[in-house]
Amino acid sequence: MRTLWRQIRGALVRLSGMPDYERYLLHCRAHHPELPVLSESEFFREYLETRSSGGPTRCC
Amino acid sequence: MRALLWVIIGVVGAAAWGVLALHRGETVSAAWLLLAAIGTYLIGYRFYSRFIADKVFALDDRRATPAERLENGRDFVPIPKWVLFGHHFAAIAGAGPLVGPVLAAQFGYLPGTLWIVFGVVLAGAVQDFTILCASIRRDGKSLGQMAKEEIGPLTGLAAMVAVLSIMIILLAVLGLVVVNALKGSPWGLFTIACTIPIAVLMGFWMTIWRPGKTLEASAIGVALLLLALVGGRYVSENPSLAPLFTHSGLTLAYLLIGYGFLASALPVWMLLCPRDYLSTFMKVGTIALLALGILVVLPPLKLPALTRFVDGTGPIFSGKLFPFAFITIACGAISGFHALISSGTTPKMLRREGDARLIGYGGMLMESFVAVMAMCAAAVLDPGVYFAINVPLGGLGGNAASAAETIRAWGFSVTPEQMSALAASVGETTLLGRSGGAPSLAVGMAQIFSGATGQHLAALWYHFAIMFEALFILTTIDAGTRVGRFMLQELAGHAWSPLGRTSWYPSTILASGLVVAAWGYFLVQGVTDPLGGINSLWPLFGISNQLLAGVALSVATTLIIKSGKARYAWVTLAPLVWLLAVTLSAGYLKIFSPLPRLGFLAHAAETALQVQSGALDPATAARLIFNDRLNATVAAGFMIVVVLVVASSLREWVLVLRGRKPALTRETPFIQSAWVS
Repeated sequence: MRTLWRQIRGALVRLSGMPDYERYLLHCRAHHPELPVLSESEFFREYLETRSSGGPTRCC
Repeated sequence: MRALLWVIIGVVGAAAWGVLALHRGETVSAAWLLLAAIGTYLIGYRFYSRFIADKVFALDDRRATPAERLENGRDFVPIPKWVLFGHHFAAIAGAGPLVGPVLAAQFGYLPGTLWIVFGVVLAGAVQDFTILCASIRRDGKSLGQMAKEEIGPLTGLAAMVAVLSIMIILLAVLGLVVVNALKGSPWGLFTIACTIPIAVLMGFWMTIWRPGKTLEASAIGVALLLLALVGGRYVSENPSLAPLFTHSGLTLAYLLIGYGFLASALPVWMLLCPRDYLSTFMKVGTIALLALGILVVLPPLKLPALTRFVDGTGPIFSGKLFPFAFITIACGAISGFHALISSGTTPKMLRREGDARLIGYGGMLMESFVAVMAMCAAAVLDPGVYFAINVPLGGLGGNAASAAETIRAWGFSVTPEQMSALAASVGETTLLGRSGGAPSLAVGMAQIFSGATGQHLAALWYHFAIMFEALFILTTIDAGTRVGRFMLQELAGHAWSPLGRTSWYPSTILASGLVVAAWGYFLVQGVTDPLGGINSLWPLFGISNQLLAGVALSVATTLIIKSGKARYAWVTLAPLVWLLAVTLSAGYLKIFSPLPRLGFLAHAAETALQVQSGALDPATAARLIFNDRLNATVAAGFMIVVVLVVASSLREWVLVLRGRKPALTRETPFIQSAWVS
């Protein structure tokens, strides 16, 4: 039940183009356990900044 | 058994087209339109997209995608294909596929629908899909980067300038649509104005107070938004509040310009991202609701299949069926802008190469379906009502009585009483001459929805539809202004490097100001245009968007030829040739046509004559003439850029085909995926 809710939440969050913080944590633990991880707030702001400084994310 | 199923789908689809094409007389059910469209999409998806996936790109699930090879937990993240489908669809679909078909309905519902459905299967979805495939094989590179690497640096620069100028026109014309929908409408303006504090509240919620709790913030946002919608009625009926939210088009244009500047210069988490978030959920939800509404109600189409205006005398925009139906409907059939999304965020999130078919090709079919629904919403209106709403007031003689007279002369009937009753039923003071497509779409949607829920909710549904359109137009405006600002800063950085620093405040303010001033100029031009603005700006937008598609298809053709698949180059070459024929002839006519309603230069000449005869004051005339010449220059500029890109691609094709240049592309080498055995 818990994992199902997490999956639905992850899907909804991803649908709008937002990153999934839990997924990021999993990735960091699996691949770079030695590096410090960003806090949820830092992670978010950094993502928002880089996302909207690239190409267009919305069409006409 | 399976083959039989596909034969049945084919026969049903073809029969539906037959009914639509041969039907004469009273009305025809929207069911035929939907059946014809869906049947064609299914056939196109099953056979043509598979052909492209297998033969042209040889998509291979064993080949690791950028999301697997470069996973970083942020932008390179594999996500499930249906979630990515939703995300991609929300990114590509905006107001374009809703507005274009409504305007093109002046030719009748058939030409537009044919172009939307067959255009998407053979051109639009092909463009999105091929660019997505190309980008997946190149680590998610952008269209501009691919143009630069595969064709040449000059082409890359041309593509970038094209994107920036197209963005300016796009933002202006979408701004015009919003302004025309909200002028003199306190209910609409109040609801939309509320989205700004709601977005700011959501921004603080999900970044400062409860970091990362985006779903909480959205739930609050959606609830407040619906509250603002209901509250709008109270405001519009309150004699002391209503005037605060009742404004002329020009005032709204300046407010919008100020808003665009703020949204571009403020930190994104405060306004831009939360609004984007809100509009995504509203978009997906409302489009699903609209599809459901049409399927449940199956309304009759009252608009004729073809109107007399195919001869070029159309009152909403001028020009004959060819080429103007094909540039008026850009989004929904083929939209160059999608190439920027297909080579932007989406390719970095694909789990398997094979998913590209559903996302690239299927996502665009979905957008096309939105355009078909918009066409239905326009066609369910009485033709007289449709023209009364969409033709600018100047073209209707200025008041309700003259409008009824003018429309009767076109062979349709509408009475002043009918129009005022309709306006009252949706909670507006007038619906006459609200060109731009949004109000008539909202009336159509309100009719469909209230057909399912009861007439007493018509006003609420109307304003819901207006809010939904305005919400994602504003999302495009603030995201677009910001992207435009970054592109301008990048270009300016080549001249003087501090200007290229996007975090340097003076540069940010300057670049934001320039981008806003550029689209704001065209917006004000449109709002003050005696012909209504849509007549000159929408074709300009259509031409520019289709020409960007030309750039994308040139790049795609180059990649196909260079990868040694020249025998399949027709897949992208055929739509490219068609688009060039459509856009170059439309561009030529917009500049040089001797008819003042059509040609910019002829209109300038006519205006000059009006000054001589004393019918127009010199200051207004000077402004109109300047605008005509500016629009002609912009159209010519677009055409030149595209001819340059196509010519340089053509040179590359010839060199490769003659064996004077090796058929090599910069694809990332094959790496076996660890996820698929």
